Amino acid sequence: MAPDGYTGKVLRVDLSSEKISTEPLNKEWARQFIGGKGLGARYLFEELKPGIDPMSPENVLSIWTGPLVGTLVPLTSRYVVVTKSPLTGTFLDSYAGGFFGPEMKYAGFDGVIIKGKASKPVYLWLNDGKVEIRDARNVWGKDTYRTEEVIRKETGEKMARVASIGVAGENLSLISSVTNDLTRNAGRGGTGAAFGSKNLKAVAARGTLGVEVNDMDSLLPMVKEMIKTDVVGNPDHAGMITDGTPVLVEMSNDAGILPTRNWHDGVFDGHEGINSESIKTRVLVRKRACFDCALACGSWSKVKAGAFSGAATEGPEYETLGLCGSNCGIKNVEAVIRFVEDCDRHGLDSISAGNAVALAMDLYEKGILSKGDVNGLDLRFGNEEAYAKMPGIIAERKGIGDLLAEGALRAGRKIGHGADGMVMHVKGLEYPAYDPRGTIGMALAYATSDRGACHLRAWPVATDAYGSADPWSTEGKAATCVEDQTRTSVKWSFIFCDFYGVNFPNMAKYYSAATGYPSSEEELRKTGRRIWNLTRAFNFREGFARKDDTLPERMMNEPLRSGKTAGKAVPKESFEKMLSEYYALWGWDEQGRPTKAALTDAGLGDIASKLPGLG
Amino acid sequence: MSKGLKADLGKCTGCQMCMLVCSGSHVGKFNPSEARINVEDVFPEPGEFKINHCVHCDEHPCVEACPVEAIKLNDKLGTYFVDRETCTACGACVDACPYNGCWIDPSGSYSIKCDLCDGDPQCVAVCPKGVLKWGD
Ligand code: SF4
Ligand code: SF4
Repeated sequence: MAPDGYTGKVLRVDLSSEKISTEPLNKEWARQFIGGKGLGARYLFEELKPGIDPMSPENVLSIWTGPLVGTLVPLTSRYVVVTKSPLTGTFLDSYAGGFFGPEMKYAGFDGVIIKGKASKPVYLWLNDGKVEIRDARNVWGKDTYRTEEVIRKETGEKMARVASIGVAGENLSLISSVTNDLTRNAGRGGTGAAFGSKNLKAVAARGTLGVEVNDMDSLLPMVKEMIKTDVVGNPDHAGMITDGTPVLVEMSNDAGILPTRNWHDGVFDGHEGINSESIKTRVLVRKRACFDCALACGSWSKVKAGAFSGAATEGPEYETLGLCGSNCGIKNVEAVIRFVEDCDRHGLDSISAGNAVALAMDLYEKGILSKGDVNGLDLRFGNEEAYAKMPGIIAERKGIGDLLAEGALRAGRKIGHGADGMVMHVKGLEYPAYDPRGTIGMALAYATSDRGACHLRAWPVATDAYGSADPWSTEGKAATCVEDQTRTSVKWSFIFCDFYGVNFPNMAKYYSAATGYPSSEEELRKTGRRIWNLTRAFNFREGFARKDDTLPERMMNEPLRSGKTAGKAVPKESFEKMLSEYYALWGWDEQGRPTKAALTDAGLGDIASKLPGLG
Repeated sequence: MSKGLKADLGKCTGCQMCMLVCSGSHVGKFNPSEARINVEDVFPEPGEFKINHCVHCDEHPCVEACPVEAIKLNDKLGTYFVDRETCTACGACVDACPYNGCWIDPSGSYSIKCDLCDGDPQCVAVCPKGVLKWGD
């Protein structure tokens, strides 16, 4: 068969029986769902028993690449962890860049499906088609940085790439992540706990098998041209090249949507200490890219002096600056770097951790938590010394950390006194750094995302709070969400990086040249609709519907305090109106349930027939 | 004056696109470990990149070290390339090169080093940060 960008192989590992097998990739599904998100969702739907506990051995944990991963098609370095989320119980797909994804493919696999639970800590070693389940005793209890180092030594492969969990994942924190290449995280939804609950410390890969595409002679010149015109020369990418995501700090602050002190405000008096300028002038060492990235949004940053001297990270990214910076009242990028390096080392999702720490600070200031409750710390907003200790406390589940490790919502529920009402989340996944009270489109994006509050499926903030559309008008917001979710479903299946603004026609061009399969914008749009309907169907099967597509009451009844968004909240009627409009656009029913007609139309007739109770 | 690529290391971001295009154009697949240029990233400490490639040095001890005369002159460029057919993968050139400029390919069948793409180095064309330069 002519090469088509895939390795054509899926690895299966049952950690309970220690059985390892390799099987051909289901090419029919590959044609329908591409790779990454889509293919992962299709396999998961097939193989996961509905209603199981995501932390049980029955959960299916999988890692996927896509047909473009490992090729020169720009910004395709990602892998995705697909599983039932330990944090939300929904479908979960969490992505990370860096170098691990391509390495796994060069080692011979499009996807890895892991079931069962090992009797003792293990890691998987993938090397040019060979696979071993290895004893992880030497790395259990070690941070992710050290784990990478030790596994490279143990395998004798200095170029091995490692996706591992830290102590947070070992301790089954529901906000733990999978970390690779030091600073890259498949962060959200408790991927780390999915590893940890299987006694799986890491998946490590080294590959020299390469990736073959259908038509190298036409792909190379096309890609070389696209790197120049559509990536480096694309004016939309200028900010990513010079600054990366931290440019958003000022944009959000101006728009009044920068999460501040546990979402009490959308404007932060200390924004100047955590913005892009502060990174460039105070801590930037050099730009550092993921594999195959012409933008290099990442900034290797290091604290030069003071209490956090020596702390270093790649970034910090906007989400981290918002949630771990302004939302915790932290006014210095140096403290954020200390915090996020520790999140990476311990394997904690910095978005969730920032929300959880901000909640604890809020509760402490309100007197609901005493100093004794918070490990003897003076956990005021902005107290850098106390704040910097929190990632370790959460990962090790010490004192208050034991509650926060469960995620902000569960922590709030256990603490009581209305604490859960102070948590900003959807389906238990804490908000990313855009306050919907100043961008009503994001309210809908959060409520309808397939994994809980997420900014990576739809990003209407681009056109409303950051653009020229009215941030409080509901007009066109449902359509924007549908369009974004359709496009990102395809984008996360190839898997492109978020920061490449690649359009449908260009995705089709890359796809055809790499795979040899004919493609078009129209066909890819259909694929996108198919994938989004599939994850909806998955969540429906798990019991999710309109009743869960909600926002916390605070969004409706507690207005923001200053700047452009002063006095603003999300009006309940507006929200419900958008939601109904949104369901109608997808062809789902008023309760947000997918319909037989919508699924069949999206090419999911077989899925529809497996779902009793569809309208 | 050596005639090879020049790298402005300070600008490198470690994206390895140079390695991707090198393998794509030399062996017809995307495989960084078959590239004739190698970018090593050394993080978190000291936080830097190293780029290994044949610098086409004037002394070319690799040529002299080769027992089967597999490293041949490209008349047009005045530089030396490895003739894949003749090379026995003995590794003498690898030991002789003072610049980490050549190595045995992952299949173990021959030595690989930069051949300047016969005068149109693809890595120079692709590097998005202008790190790699060749000629004047
Ligand atoms: S391989 Fe090494 S010794 Fe030979 S020409 Fe290149 S740099 Fe010089
Ligand atoms: S393409 Fe350029 S920036 Fe990227 S690794 Fe190679 S030399 Fe460095």
